Amino acid sequence: MSPVIEVKQLSKCYKKQPAVKSIDLTVKSGEIYGLIGPDGAGKSSVMQILAGVLSYESGEVKVFDHILDSEMSAEAVKSRIGFMPQGLGLNLYPELSIEENINFFADLRDVPVAEREARKLQLMDMTQLTAFRDRPMKNLSGGMKQKLGLVCTLIHKPELVILDEPTTGVDPVSRRDFWEILSYLVRHEHMTALVSTSYMDEAERFQNLSFFYEGSVLAQGEPDSILDSVEGWVAECDCEEGLNIIGELQSKFSQAELIGKTMRIVAYDVTQEWFEGELLGLLQQHGVSKTVEIRPIELEDAFIGMLHRWEKQKAGDGEFDFGQQDNAVNHFDESPEFDRNAVMIEANELSRHFGDFVAVDEVSFNVRAGEVFGLLGANGAGKSTAIKMLTGLLKPTHGFGQISQSSLERSGREIKQKIGYMSQSFSLYEDLTVHENLKLYGQIYGVPKSRLKQRIHWALQMGSLQDEIDTLAGSLPMGLRQRLALGCALLHEPKVLFLDEPTSGVDPLGRLQFWEILVALAKLKGVAILITTHYMSEAEHCDQLALMQAGKVVANGSPISLREHIADELGMVLSIKVDYPYQALDVLRKNGFEQVSLFGRRIHLFSLVPDRILNQIKKVLSSHEIEIHDTRKMLPSLEDVFIHFIETHAEELPDASPSRVAS
Amino acid sequence: MKWSRIKTVAIKEVLEIWRDKLYLSMAFLIPVLMMIVLGFGMSMDVEKIPFVAVDYDNSEQSRDYLHRYIDSRYFDYKGMKAHESQAEPLMIQNKIRFILVIPPGFQEKLLAGKRVQVQPVIDGLFTYQSKVVRGYVSSINADFNQQLMRQWLKKKRGMNDNDIEALLAPVTLETRYLFNEKLSSLWSTGSGMIMLVMLMAPAVLTALGVVREKESGSIFNIYASTVSRSEFIIGKILPYVVISFVNLLVLSWMALVMFGVPFKGDPVLYLVASLLYVACSTGIGMLVSILVKTQAAAALITMLGTMIPGMMMSGLMIPVNSMEAGAKMEAHLLPAMYQLNIVWGSFLKGQGWPELGTNVLILALHACVLWGISIWRFRKRVKA
Repeated sequence: MSPVIEVKQLSKCYKKQPAVKSIDLTVKSGEIYGLIGPDGAGKSSVMQILAGVLSYESGEVKVFDHILDSEMSAEAVKSRIGFMPQGLGLNLYPELSIEENINFFADLRDVPVAEREARKLQLMDMTQLTAFRDRPMKNLSGGMKQKLGLVCTLIHKPELVILDEPTTGVDPVSRRDFWEILSYLVRHEHMTALVSTSYMDEAERFQNLSFFYEGSVLAQGEPDSILDSVEGWVAECDCEEGLNIIGELQSKFSQAELIGKTMRIVAYDVTQEWFEGELLGLLQQHGVSKTVEIRPIELEDAFIGMLHRWEKQKAGDGEFDFGQQDNAVNHFDESPEFDRNAVMIEANELSRHFGDFVAVDEVSFNVRAGEVFGLLGANGAGKSTAIKMLTGLLKPTHGFGQISQSSLERSGREIKQKIGYMSQSFSLYEDLTVHENLKLYGQIYGVPKSRLKQRIHWALQMGSLQDEIDTLAGSLPMGLRQRLALGCALLHEPKVLFLDEPTSGVDPLGRLQFWEILVALAKLKGVAILITTHYMSEAEHCDQLALMQAGKVVANGSPISLREHIADELGMVLSIKVDYPYQALDVLRKNGFEQVSLFGRRIHLFSLVPDRILNQIKKVLSSHEIEIHDTRKMLPSLEDVFIHFIETHAEELPDASPSRVAS
Repeated sequence: MKWSRIKTVAIKEVLEIWRDKLYLSMAFLIPVLMMIVLGFGMSMDVEKIPFVAVDYDNSEQSRDYLHRYIDSRYFDYKGMKAHESQAEPLMIQNKIRFILVIPPGFQEKLLAGKRVQVQPVIDGLFTYQSKVVRGYVSSINADFNQQLMRQWLKKKRGMNDNDIEALLAPVTLETRYLFNEKLSSLWSTGSGMIMLVMLMAPAVLTALGVVREKESGSIFNIYASTVSRSEFIIGKILPYVVISFVNLLVLSWMALVMFGVPFKGDPVLYLVASLLYVACSTGIGMLVSILVKTQAAAALITMLGTMIPGMMMSGLMIPVNSMEAGAKMEAHLLPAMYQLNIVWGSFLKGQGWPELGTNVLILALHACVLWGISIWRFRKRVKA
């Protein structure tokens, strides 16, 4: 059988700016194929080209054996394709109800009415939208918008669905449901799916994937083979002296970071013996004698390893070394004493209502000096509203907040001097240069002239922006822009820093570098940092976490304690790689393992007694002649944690149905 | 082309407009507001011109002369100044448009039978208004001269009134204005506004409708589906044609009732032509929206692109016959002129099919061309 999609040497430019650089891609019938990579890597362009809605400069694109090289030829395959563009629910019609939206998509594609009704019921049932069929789309939660988008894309039973970032900004439960539905439909309707994502942790969901970066494909194939292609090791070690040696570790190994009291060190393209020897030697030099656990890297680290290699190649003959080139810690020589127990941010039953709608519902937490506190949640969960109340931009309906012992209610101006704030959009002046931006922000925050020069110099050093002083902020790459915005927010040396989704749109390497700076800020200068994000993998960097869902905090604690808590309650995650995953899944479900879910070619399930369950599964599968390739035991991920808390929380609520307008 | 798919697109559009109350009220309120503001505001009548007088003579005769201005409805007397230097600052501040300077010895010279020079100082910035003011001044002045003459003839020659009139003004004018008997600018500009407003409002409304989909991303549903270009364009444009036609009827009713314009022509012709005209103006909006990407650009381009030709090159301000060759050609290329012919013809001139038929036909042609180009230029597989 010929492949559904066959792309050779495809290139695409926007006004001479290359977006896709000569890529190859083959997608076989019946698989879920992933395009993974940061924003701006070229994924969307490829998807639009394949959906026949975007033209390209060179290469060959075949979909269902039709060469797509003109508007006419593209029309020929459109009846067999479903395309969902990027942006959650943005392609839907806000004023129309769920049902009207679905009907529009069906009628546009000439689905006969009887067939439409049957299909609609089936899909609404599967996505649990039936009860809300008359609700206008604009009043749906993010997760429901995503599901409606999926239903609309599937209503004409396409043979190929192209879904552009369907999971971005959606809560973990909706994300899991989405994958369940998609894999069900792919299995039962012989559909092929091409899905893009910027979440590296979703890579395991795909049977095959292409890893995109700057318009090129850095790796292609099964997740496991990609993992095998990068040799790398992770070491973790608890130690109190982390701060003293982290700088040295960073210059020696590819990556070294501090998460709470745990050090995490990663090395690529080295042997395990070398890594272990070097690391232990270095630790001994500093008189640290702790046990170090060394294990092979996981898929997410493998992607970062590939990026390292790529950057190295670009820089030339191995001169480039990430760790050496930028060493955030070195810019923080002055380490003032600070009281680790001082509560810098206090939220006490903060609530905010907009009419009938409760955006934030009695949220309480403390952030101490030197702590990185992560506020997690989907779009519309109330994160930004909470931050706005704590920065004094919005008055709480109930409750109160304090910033380093000054009440928000009484001392507005005083508080503004104490805090730094960086918003999602970075709020830089794009037509001003790096230096002009820094100068302007310094003046806005009232930094004394004598001090400003010194502070600007510091900010340039910290963000490695020395070579870009006269570059316009608008023409900087996202990573540098982000660090410039951070520098602007820190010019007046605030003791409290608020970051509202600061890493959206930044590539993984840039994110890593950003986090190094944040950790150094907190640990060395005692800045209390409150950060919001919807990247679960970033949450691992935080000392403390709070997960928000529908305005409420549903879980909090340190990342590791949360994961261990779930491991105690639900057990470990068993990951099993099998020959025929679809069949295996059905077999297992029929034999009483109802909680199994599909991750690419792997099957996952929770178990408190993993060894015993594994034996049972082996028996069941071998009786159906399905071979097991390998098995792994893993600690539940933060994603699992949050799904668990959201679900247990939802049961407590009388009306779990989200009926809300995003703030 | 399949009617069911056109209907699908059109119904979706209607539902969206209907539920978005802000957009809906804009769609119907803006044309009405524009009609009121522009209809009354663009009136060309020059009345109540503010002025001050500088009377160096301050005699019985000079006061009599001045009173002719004060009593006129065309002038608005703002007081007396002792010297020109006090009056000129008022002109600079835009508080007055005209200064009347009566020289010393006005009465003395008149009684001695000598010529006197009075100086009207007129603000020349508004050339059209200035000329009109000069006209008013001349006729008041001439009237004063005649009165002096009359008094003299009566006193010195003992002539009766009839003989005096025959001597002074042997030829009199009995002017009759055709089509706009009262020479009310409301009649002509008021009804002409139907043409201008119904060029601008539907174009902007339609342009926003399509670009909104481009901005939100829902246009991808169309790109990726099997709906054809013509089905989409026609389905998308139809609701706006209907809304605009309703608006045009409302504006016509306003012209009849609010501006008191009579309707003397053929109602059927007027309705047919109007429908074709809104098809043209929505077509212009559609064409713009296919070429641009943002709502701001769409609104600005359609606004300027329809307002300037609609005002300057339609015959609304200047008759097409007296335009320069270039402007004249443009006027013939745009639908505005033909619609103005139809509006004025139907309301004021009482014309019907024999006189206006060609105009209706040309509008139909325009509509076809605009829709055709829109369908031809619309791409379901874009470059960026």
